[in-house]
Amino acid sequence: MYEITLENFRCFRNRQTARLAPLTLLVGENSTGKTSFLAIIRALVDVALGFRNPDFKEEPYDLGSFDEITHRRGASGGRAKTFEAGFRVIGPKGQTVDGMTRHFSVTFGKRGTAPVPVRRCFSMGSTWADECFETGQPYILRIGTYRGSWEKKVPTDAAAGFDLDDDLLAPLIHTLRSSFSKDEQKQDRKFIPMSGSPAFNSEDEKLIYGLLVNEFWSLAPLLFASAPVRTKPRRTYDPSRLTSDPEGNYVPMLLANTYFQERDKWRELKQRLEDFGKAAGLFDEISIRPLGKRDSEPFQLQVRRFGARLKGPQRNLIDVGYGVSQVLPVITELLRPDAPFLFLLQQPEIHLHPSAQAALGSLFCHVAGSERLLVVETHSDHLIDRVRMDVRDKTTTLRPEDVSILYFERGDLDVRIHSLRIDEEGNILGAPDGYRQFFMEETNRSIGL
Amino acid sequence: MCAILDNDVAYQVFGRDRPPAGVAFRRWIDSRRGQLVVGGQLRVELGRNHAFRLWLQQALLQGRARSVNDREVDKRTATLRNAGVCRSNDPHIVALAQLSNARLLYSNDDDLRHDFGDKQLIDRPRGKVYSTKQSNDFQESHRRLLNQRRLCVR
Repeated sequence: MYEITLENFRCFRNRQTARLAPLTLLVGENSTGKTSFLAIIRALVDVALGFRNPDFKEEPYDLGSFDEITHRRGASGGRAKTFEAGFRVIGPKGQTVDGMTRHFSVTFGKRGTAPVPVRRCFSMGSTWADECFETGQPYILRIGTYRGSWEKKVPTDAAAGFDLDDDLLAPLIHTLRSSFSKDEQKQDRKFIPMSGSPAFNSEDEKLIYGLLVNEFWSLAPLLFASAPVRTKPRRTYDPSRLTSDPEGNYVPMLLANTYFQERDKWRELKQRLEDFGKAAGLFDEISIRPLGKRDSEPFQLQVRRFGARLKGPQRNLIDVGYGVSQVLPVITELLRPDAPFLFLLQQPEIHLHPSAQAALGSLFCHVAGSERLLVVETHSDHLIDRVRMDVRDKTTTLRPEDVSILYFERGDLDVRIHSLRIDEEGNILGAPDGYRQFFMEETNRSIGL
Repeated sequence: MCAILDNDVAYQVFGRDRPPAGVAFRRWIDSRRGQLVVGGQLRVELGRNHAFRLWLQQALLQGRARSVNDREVDKRTATLRNAGVCRSNDPHIVALAQLSNARLLYSNDDDLRHDFGDKQLIDRPRGKVYSTKQSNDFQESHRRLLNQRRLCVR
């Protein structure tokens, strides 16, 4: 995924495009739509790759109902009736597949109080699928391959049998006629050729199936979306079922499970966590302290600092600085051997000292790449500057084009996203006038200029 | 539009008592119409000024200043020095201009002014010098220089 398009979504009125890279940093003042941007990425993953109806109220992004999500210009300006989003995606190694880029766009309308997709378009090269499913209207599916284009209309009553999740599979269901029973094939409405196209055949069916399943559905990534504030540490943890949550409540249990059940994996993860802990000056050692003989008994999470000569005492997570417990969910997810592909992080630097914030920047540079995409909302200069320097000094495999800085600039009543780049020397390219204006004014004042 | 600031006149841009021409130059950078280029020995020289160091840190993050690889600048400086083609004793500034394509120099050094005007050293476009040697006031000649569009080829 490398470009996101938005229109009439939250504070983004005009259609605009933002470049995503393996490491994307979202910066800007408060209430400029950075979290909304993370939310729309998750929604796009759901609706385009997961074929699920996105839940805009799911934690950690509760954007509210349709009326809160669609752009509003104020009393006289009115409210947009739909909002749109989309993306262009490239292959996992960074190259386009067969030189072609995948495109996806979705339009959300209102059903009840919730936003639901009313139009979706998938395309790659000359193969495409475009569907409309507005309430009370026939479901319309238009598809195209290099051979031609076709249209199918399904009356509302025939489409009513689907529930919402099935609706999102509609282009697949309607295209795969060969999988229908004979009775179903008789009842199914055929694709009508458009613009003098030949009859729809099995080759077209395979192409459309390949587009939807191989180029979109099968790419649904594992995703980790962190909340801006993580869970409070506890002195003792009781073993419980492992259920992921954005606050990272599950992380001590995840670490304990790995410790008890997968010792090799634990050693690897422990080493990685400790490497980061040392670089960030947070801890030199992390360990699980079982309070019984069985893994079903309570345990504690401990960290330790090493002195010049002696190792310090083991200290409970609750007895060390809050920054440790706040960053632990993020670094555990980033460093676990089976880490997800896509990270949507909100202020991972919270409660960390600047030196630890900078170390987090280096960690992001280390883990981001073709196998892991990081989108990070941050207010940390130290983190951003470390990324800039690591790329410049080539202490990371990330190249300048692998980093994108998205600057969210508030305009009159809406927000514009600027896609900034860095070059080989760590210079910031494409910054608008307002970018970091506050910081420069403060510096000028500080040095008496 | 990229510019190079000679360390000898840096106080006119980043000092406390700046002349009108220095104030206008700063304003030009602050307005983002201009961009200051640093690299090599000049970065070290300018960096001795604490105020400049603080400013540069922010300016690099903001895109108002541009950094050129120090090693590249040092290498080109050595080449120029060995070739003996510069009249001034500031081949590092000529090297920076060549590598960055910055074509405006703020300096009062006559030899450097000569080097900047030497077509063999700086060309396409030719180098221009913003000087306060005649007057510290912001004059029409200064204004014309800051309005030039071909001061940086990137």
